[in-house]
Amino acid sequence: VKEALTAAPAVARRTRRGARHIRAGNVVAYVLMALLLALVLAPLYWLVISSAKPAAEVIRQPPTFFPAAWSGQHFSDLFAASDYPIYLRNSVEVALGTVVLTLVLAAPAAYAVYRIPFRGRGVVLRGFLLAYAFPSIVLLVPLYRMMSAVHLINTLASLVTVNVTFAAPFSVWMLQAFFRTVPVELEEAAAIDGAGWASILIRVLLPLIAPGLITIAIFAFISSWTEFTFASALILDDARKTLPVGLAQIIGQYQIDWGLLAAGAVVTVAPVLIFFGLIGRRFVSGLTAGAIK
Amino acid sequence: VVRAMTRRGQWLGYVLIAPLALWLAATMLYPLAVTVRTSVSSVGIIGTGGGFSGWSNYAAVLSSPLFREAGVRSLEWVGGNAILQTALALVAALVLNEKLRGRTFARTWIVVSWVVPTVVIAIIGRWMLNGAVGVIQYLLLATHLVRAPVDFFGDPSTALATTIVINSWHWFPFLAVILLASLQAVPQEYYEAAAIDGASAWGRFRAVTWPALQPTMFVLGLIGTLWSVNIFDVIWLLTQGGPANGTTTLPVYIYEQAFQAFNMGGAAAASMIMGVALFLFAALYLRFAAPREEGWA
Repeated sequence: VKEALTAAPAVARRTRRGARHIRAGNVVAYVLMALLLALVLAPLYWLVISSAKPAAEVIRQPPTFFPAAWSGQHFSDLFAASDYPIYLRNSVEVALGTVVLTLVLAAPAAYAVYRIPFRGRGVVLRGFLLAYAFPSIVLLVPLYRMMSAVHLINTLASLVTVNVTFAAPFSVWMLQAFFRTVPVELEEAAAIDGAGWASILIRVLLPLIAPGLITIAIFAFISSWTEFTFASALILDDARKTLPVGLAQIIGQYQIDWGLLAAGAVVTVAPVLIFFGLIGRRFVSGLTAGAIK
Repeated sequence: VVRAMTRRGQWLGYVLIAPLALWLAATMLYPLAVTVRTSVSSVGIIGTGGGFSGWSNYAAVLSSPLFREAGVRSLEWVGGNAILQTALALVAALVLNEKLRGRTFARTWIVVSWVVPTVVIAIIGRWMLNGAVGVIQYLLLATHLVRAPVDFFGDPSTALATTIVINSWHWFPFLAVILLASLQAVPQEYYEAAAIDGASAWGRFRAVTWPALQPTMFVLGLIGTLWSVNIFDVIWLLTQGGPANGTTTLPVYIYEQAFQAFNMGGAAAASMIMGVALFLFAALYLRFAAPREEGWA
């Protein structure tokens, strides 16, 4: 490969021949891309149309691949006749708490790790990575006992605590990519101009790091919104259950009302999809940039 | 002046890192110590203290056939997920790395199954695979791929395979975007040079793409394995570990021991055994599986 590199200019004219080749390969690539997208999106499409069909059509055989009739019945049942609104509220509270605490803990830590050459920061960084890979199930029993001991069992605060623990280390890691894009010289220049560290942070760094903070906020929101294991173990009262646990209860019922369940699933996935539609691209690039190094 | 600045910087560094460090110490390190203590105590129901019981919890767990089966099941779970997800993610990353119309859209939206809450994934899985009214059953029957509806969750062997497929659907996009990011870091000239050398598509893949992916694959091999072993929610929501414990992996076993059998000591001992096994795996993996620095340019 290396030899070819040095010889590249001389043989540049030969690359033309490869063009037709690439075109044929493209067809295969387009087909594969369409299949992959279908693989990911088709089940979601099926969920959405199932939630919007009238009850009889939901379970009709053969199934209709596009609703013959539309109905909002399942959604109105969901909000009128089930505990769904309570679960929704609880989930929102836990997610917002998780986002705020994750930002408050992870952002300063990331600044310290990526900007201040203090002794032992390599160890700290590796510790965060370790925490991120740590199998959370090992902590299920002790966290349950700890939360009981401090009377936090059966509270939304216990879920916020756990979610922050699992979201914050990765958030620090994801912020690395964003700190990299901001040259240290910018801060130094501000310091020479006589700006204090607080004003450097607020006026110079924060606006530039904002996309990173948004990325970790979304990450924290999604982790909290989707968390099931600890929410099912730490919450005992129906009135304090979050969406995933509340929905799981409906799955467990003897007679499953699929239309209602699909509607519940749609409303649960909707905020995530909306977030994703708004800033999915930035989120994906932040995710990969943070994860790759 | 510089020295004064760095000294103040040191101090500021510790102050900024302290809240998160303390938080993690309280919610990860301390609980870990609690696990150790619980695992050597005779603890039954929640809240009751219980005296020191030595290795008896460990002995009980290790001699339990259910625990050993769960260990084997976890290995099958990790292996199945690793193969399926790597294959899917690799294809997806290679395809999305091509210069195709609409790839920006595809690169973003392919990740969507990763952000879907697990409970929704379980609902979709149970709904589409339902024996009476599932659309996948209908499609399988209509295309004559099967003669009778498949009992995806009713048979221990198909139940594990089905949960693996559903979990892979959940996770492969995440792996794909990470592999894609490392592909994008490969200079285009390497491909051009390989093409000039007359390398076939397969040759270019072997000479350029595959070596370039190694560092990322190495990291994903470790973190992915640790995460994958840890997965509880999707299994619990789809099968509750059944039928006939056919999908009872170690996390399911731990959860059942703790919250259904109320055997906290046993659950803690099982957690410790799993934790130590994973630690050993990580140590061996880092020692022996690290990619060599040769190969790619």
